[in-house]
Amino acid sequence: MKVPYKWLKEIAGIDAPVAEAAHRLTMAGLEVEAIEPCGDDHVLEVNVTPNRPDCLSVIGIARELSAIYKTSLNLPPHDVLAHTGALDFNVDILDYDLCHRYAGRIIRGIKIGPSPAWMQQRLEQCGIRPINNIVDITNYVLLEFGHPLHAFDMKKVKGHRIRVATAGCAYPGAEVKITTLDSAERAVPADTLLILDAEDPIGIAGIMGGLHSEVDDTTEDIFIESAYFAPSSIRRSSRALGLKTEASYRFERGSDIKMLKKALDRAAYLVKEIVGGELYGKIDMYPKKFVQTSIDVRYEKVNRVLGINISKEEMTSCLNGLGFEIKTKKDLFNVKVPAFRNDVKRDYDVIEEVARMYGYDNIPAVLPKATIGMETGSEAGSALSGIAGAVRASLLKTGFTEAINLSFMSEADLDMLDIPADNSRRRVVNIKNPLRSEEACMRTMILPSLIRNLKHNLAYGSRDLKIFESAKVFIGNGQDSLPSEEHAICALYYREKAKTLYPETANDFFVIKGIAESILSDLGAAGISFVRSTEPFLHPGQSADIFAGKGKVGYIGALSPVVFDRLGIKSAKPSIIIMEFFIEKLKSAGFNQPRYRQLPKFPAIDRDVAIVLDSSFAASDLNSIISGFGSELIEGISIFDVYQGSNIPEGKKSLAFSIRYRASDRTLTEEEIEGLHSRLVAHLSEKTGGQVRK
Amino acid sequence: MSADLSNTFHDELQSLKDLSGLVQLRVKYLGKKGILTAELKSLSSLPAEERKAAGKRVNDLKNLIESELDAKEASLKAEALKAQLLSESIDISLPGKSAGFGRQHPLSRVMSEIADIFVKMGFSIEEGPEVELDKYNFELLNIPKDHPARDMQDTFYVSDEIVLRTHTSPVQVRVMQRQKPPLRFIAPGRVYRCDADITHSPMFHQIEGLMIDRDITFSNLKAVLRTFVHQMFGADTAVRFRPSFFPFTEPSAEIDIGCFLCKQAGCRVCKSTGWLEVLGAGMVNPAVLENVGYDPDEYSGFAFGMGIERIAMLKYAIDDIRLFFDNDARFLRQF
Repeated sequence: MKVPYKWLKEIAGIDAPVAEAAHRLTMAGLEVEAIEPCGDDHVLEVNVTPNRPDCLSVIGIARELSAIYKTSLNLPPHDVLAHTGALDFNVDILDYDLCHRYAGRIIRGIKIGPSPAWMQQRLEQCGIRPINNIVDITNYVLLEFGHPLHAFDMKKVKGHRIRVATAGCAYPGAEVKITTLDSAERAVPADTLLILDAEDPIGIAGIMGGLHSEVDDTTEDIFIESAYFAPSSIRRSSRALGLKTEASYRFERGSDIKMLKKALDRAAYLVKEIVGGELYGKIDMYPKKFVQTSIDVRYEKVNRVLGINISKEEMTSCLNGLGFEIKTKKDLFNVKVPAFRNDVKRDYDVIEEVARMYGYDNIPAVLPKATIGMETGSEAGSALSGIAGAVRASLLKTGFTEAINLSFMSEADLDMLDIPADNSRRRVVNIKNPLRSEEACMRTMILPSLIRNLKHNLAYGSRDLKIFESAKVFIGNGQDSLPSEEHAICALYYREKAKTLYPETANDFFVIKGIAESILSDLGAAGISFVRSTEPFLHPGQSADIFAGKGKVGYIGALSPVVFDRLGIKSAKPSIIIMEFFIEKLKSAGFNQPRYRQLPKFPAIDRDVAIVLDSSFAASDLNSIISGFGSELIEGISIFDVYQGSNIPEGKKSLAFSIRYRASDRTLTEEEIEGLHSRLVAHLSEKTGGQVRK
Repeated sequence: MSADLSNTFHDELQSLKDLSGLVQLRVKYLGKKGILTAELKSLSSLPAEERKAAGKRVNDLKNLIESELDAKEASLKAEALKAQLLSESIDISLPGKSAGFGRQHPLSRVMSEIADIFVKMGFSIEEGPEVELDKYNFELLNIPKDHPARDMQDTFYVSDEIVLRTHTSPVQVRVMQRQKPPLRFIAPGRVYRCDADITHSPMFHQIEGLMIDRDITFSNLKAVLRTFVHQMFGADTAVRFRPSFFPFTEPSAEIDIGCFLCKQAGCRVCKSTGWLEVLGAGMVNPAVLENVGYDPDEYSGFAFGMGIERIAMLKYAIDDIRLFFDNDARFLRQF
């Protein structure tokens, strides 16, 4: 809210420098966000929190200042003398729940013209465009008292009658339309409260008047409305209509049901002073009386909650000037809350009033005495710790840079990756009001975001990229249930063949597989196996699903060439390897506990073997074949060459590996090994169907 | 005769080029058929009175030759080693093969920095769903439907009852429903609001904190958050608490720190106020305690929350929030 400082000074009865007053307002909870010099005055930009509709007015802010500076508030003149006698005008409130009070005044014989310069200046300082003397006066009083008023042209109010009713009540079952002051024709929902004359709607209650009943240059008689509408009803209607106004903003936060009469009189006063005309007696329908809130506050509790120790007198004097009626008793004081403070409902609200007027800066800072409880935290325990944290740390150490993307995607992303309709990643959670169509649903996978990051970086000349993201993905469980949120860590490796000082000769798949294996062994995950993957977006011949026991905990693989072609990446044959871990699945895998094994005391003997076998043979099968041989003396094997080419028949490959023999209780002799090794070679050749190279 | 021999030996030693020459020279003088070996043998033919003196001469000469050959051998070996090392020299000015560590995202960096401070103060870490029931995101936090406080947070809706959480505060409610006091935790995570410009992203990060126990006071809140600010921004950072409004806390506070960019002299970032708003906090509203079945007369507590992007933008002087989510490697490598 914008407020000219001179206006505030008049009403608050203060004379402090503007910067000081602004600082003290800020420290009392009305944050002054800016002080704009404006001629010989300053305009304060005050950030009024939603709980303080009373401060959406000059008087409200001035009241705070007068409480801070201990001055008395000067309300502007509002006493008027009116003609008495028959009015020939009726008001009917048909919905007491939505309209608690409706007051109005008739002023006849006015002449529409511009408002005085001083008024126009203040309106403009507050960001309101001057229109004519009557409209300006209602707006001026809106700013001053914070209470929205509306002026109708009497001759356009048919049947000398005003009715207040919901659209549904006035026109059961019918569609109701009204053209508002902004010349827009609006369809009104059935539960929206309307102001009607004897025949038609003439305004949307508390939100905007109708165009037809507007005050214009020919207006001679006016009816000024000052009413109280139920906040939640105004808010619902304002949202349904997509129409927010100065009036609706105040009504939906709660207006002052008692002050509305003063605001009306103030407007009448200003009309008499500025425009003239004949003022008639007041209409005031008040079917739902204001019930004053009364709160008992224990002195001890105020001190206990705030951690201070102040006297009863100090406590209650903090509240002076804020409009509360206070009665002190032995252990407590009673607070009667004024109508404009609808935010004060219980003792804590009063404690807050004491605290802010006492000054937060005056409350000492004392570290709490903590009780040691079961502060274990959830096992999920944040992205930064636990298994996810360990995977993340390993990726950072192995050269992957962390990305953070918005958690959104669109179904087109899934199409790009050939995700089939029955895959759980198609169970997307749609957002009803997305900002962009590309962000229409929650991610079911992280990969599309990383691909976008890749394209962004390639556009800026990047030739290699190693990125990962650790985030939740969201698998829908139907419209009315929360989705399953699953933590995933996805990494993308991109490399173009480029001139480099130290070339990497290994196939990139194995570079990344090595990282995956190191990560899993670092975690101690048990029963890990790599099985050819069926992920639709991976190259079927260069990808693997990672299993821990029977559960799939992730995958690695080269991006499918079909998907790659869709990306529109210009570079020739870069390698793109994707790796993903499903953290919840990984958590439920078995984990090896470290257990000490004695260090070998006797030397080992190594023997090399090369076998020519079918090129489809999986090298990892050697391990099971060797353990099937069943000799305790075989410590392990290590593969050192895989070869296809000249000297090796089509469809075959040569696999060379070294076998290490060791006994735990003696030094093995050459003779002992000779026999064992030739039997093992024969076994291998039989089981693999391969030919041992001599 | 021995003087001649000695001179000849020294001449030959002088002209030696390499170790193989040295071996030959050693054989020539000291070998089984060497000159000195022959000399020693010929001693027996001398008369007894000459034999002793002649023997000493030959032996002295032999010792001299041996020690000089050894010395020469050592120096030749040292030269050879030197030559070898020189030939193995590489250009150490070439760049190393990068171990290529990855970089932590600046938001994660700031988030773990903040988390570490609270963990050291005994706070544990909790998390909750990002797609959340309206009930947890709003209603149980004292923000009913049709309440203007909902305007403070532009909400993404999945359905009438399901929203993308607009803050990390629903984690408070979930944990309190599950556990009895005392409680002391923080809840970091992603939150969502439908708003996008250079200072607003539709997704951003918050850290929420909650401490509940008997006799927790506003003055405790001040001390804990002041400690945090001093750890995070430096011990001489000015801190001020001013009243504010959040529906789920009462009294509520906003915490400003002295602008470290202009040393509180006033700059564009602090809008000439000298202060930067970094945290929201307050005593947990008794209505919220009642909603989770705590007795507000027995327990009290404080809650706080902060936006990670805002702190990271201040800390690293980043002027556009969208940079965090473009994941441009040139940006990410700066942290």
